[in-house]
Amino acid sequence: MAIITISRGSYSMGKAVAEQVAACLGYTVISRDLLLDASTRFQIPEIKLIRAIHDAPGILARFSRSQQAYLAYIRAALTERVRDGNVVYHGLAGHLLLKEVPGVLKVRITADLERRVENERRREGISAQEARETILRDDQQRRGWTRSLHGVDPWDSNLYDLVVRIGALTVADAVSFICEAARSEGFRATEKSLQAIRDLALACRIKAELVEEFPALGITCQYGNAIVYTRDKSAGGDRLHKRLDTLGKEIQGIFNLEVHSSEDWPPDAV
Amino acid sequence: MPIIIISSEAPAVEEQIAARAAKALGYKTLGPEVLPAIAAKHAIPEAKLAESLGRTPTPWWRRQAKGRQQYLACLEAEVLDRLAPDNIVCWGLAAHLYVLGVSHALKARLLPDNARLAEELAGQRGVTPHKAAKLIEGARLKRSQWSLAAFGQNELEPSMYDLVINLGQIDPDEAVGALTTAVGYRKFQPMTYSTSSLADIALAAKVKARLLGSLSDIRVQARDGTVVVTSKALKRERRKKTAAIKSLAGEVPGVNYVEVHLINYVIRAAAESFR
Repeated sequence: MAIITISRGSYSMGKAVAEQVAACLGYTVISRDLLLDASTRFQIPEIKLIRAIHDAPGILARFSRSQQAYLAYIRAALTERVRDGNVVYHGLAGHLLLKEVPGVLKVRITADLERRVENERRREGISAQEARETILRDDQQRRGWTRSLHGVDPWDSNLYDLVVRIGALTVADAVSFICEAARSEGFRATEKSLQAIRDLALACRIKAELVEEFPALGITCQYGNAIVYTRDKSAGGDRLHKRLDTLGKEIQGIFNLEVHSSEDWPPDAV
Repeated sequence: MPIIIISSEAPAVEEQIAARAAKALGYKTLGPEVLPAIAAKHAIPEAKLAESLGRTPTPWWRRQAKGRQQYLACLEAEVLDRLAPDNIVCWGLAAHLYVLGVSHALKARLLPDNARLAEELAGQRGVTPHKAAKLIEGARLKRSQWSLAAFGQNELEPSMYDLVINLGQIDPDEAVGALTTAVGYRKFQPMTYSTSSLADIALAAKVKARLLGSLSDIRVQARDGTVVVTSKALKRERRKKTAAIKSLAGEVPGVNYVEVHLINYVIRAAAESFR
């Protein structure tokens, strides 16, 4: 019943690993289709979501409302899809978007540059030089995106439970390690971990519904009791309260929804 | 049989996993217990050898000292020699930074349970866990700087390793299981070319250790007994330096031929031209 996130650089064979892990464990694979999900649900063009999750934002764009909103939509779609476990997600920043969830197996697949260049060259039918430039540019974008939005280097091993380099180890070896880890005690779903993901999914859903109109909110949820944090001393005003009343009726699983005006938000607030 | 090289920020973790993996496989271990013998053989103070290995804090002004480079070269030469027989689990000797291009060496990085480490450190030093976590992160970055200064490799870079395992989430038994399984894979079995690679880098390390006794700024590569030494020199020093390098390098057993490449020492030449 594990949730597995697989991060990878382009042409690192991460996709192949994810698909084979899912086949081995009988899990669902989620990747780009997640963006389509978010695009449909929140009526945002898919290309805008792709850019939000792929391109390193410029200094100003980093704080733009639309950037924050797109990330909230993607996160809401992701947490909704993984809430029942048995999922392999491969795509950008899964290990960060799900970092509050206990028991998520976070994996990174790496491969040396020359191997990746060769894979890209063969697949795209371009020269080695072009392939190298594309890969390095892509790596820089991904690194910049993660650094600017999450303040961490995606290549830092401490973000992951397992990092496997495809080289001497094959895709099949990597799949074997990951499946073995997923079956271990530490990554088995417990009532606590399932509740944590349900709560996160709920918090992300509330955030996604509110972010366009009220971008500066933090949301936490425990056993369906959601708290909306705002730095506004008037606790968001009537408009926010009215919106929350509506949401409380629309969204299943919310038992209580209240607003707290505070400068200090819990670290796990969405 | 393959070599397993284990690296971690926490020496206790390295030792524990290395011992368990060696026991499971029937391999020998190679760890810091060899430092006294290496120090004695090369007439190096043991404390200085340990300091060069980055296991004790080094003031910044000593990090680039010529002696330190030589100590590390001696360590590298001795460790590579001891890895030649295979069936070894190596830890605590920074081998992950200089065993490069040897396909039958499985390199694994083990990340300690940082939350538990922070708690232990907080208890020991009477600081908050948050402060302890900052200290651990600071030590980690210093270690990364050390690895870059000492061997030109960043030991935090995950692509240096075949496997990185976070012991905060993955049980040590499972980590040992992963290592013992991986080492059985075909690609980690010694082949003629991989044992040759190991012999070549061992020979290069021995020549480098020999040369750094009296020279500085030396790069050495070796292949099948032919050694290529690269260094810098002023024009007027070239002949003398070439002769000195050939003489010293030629004394190392296993060296058949020495080729010397001397790059013009531009900065010194420019400085001297102003005199």
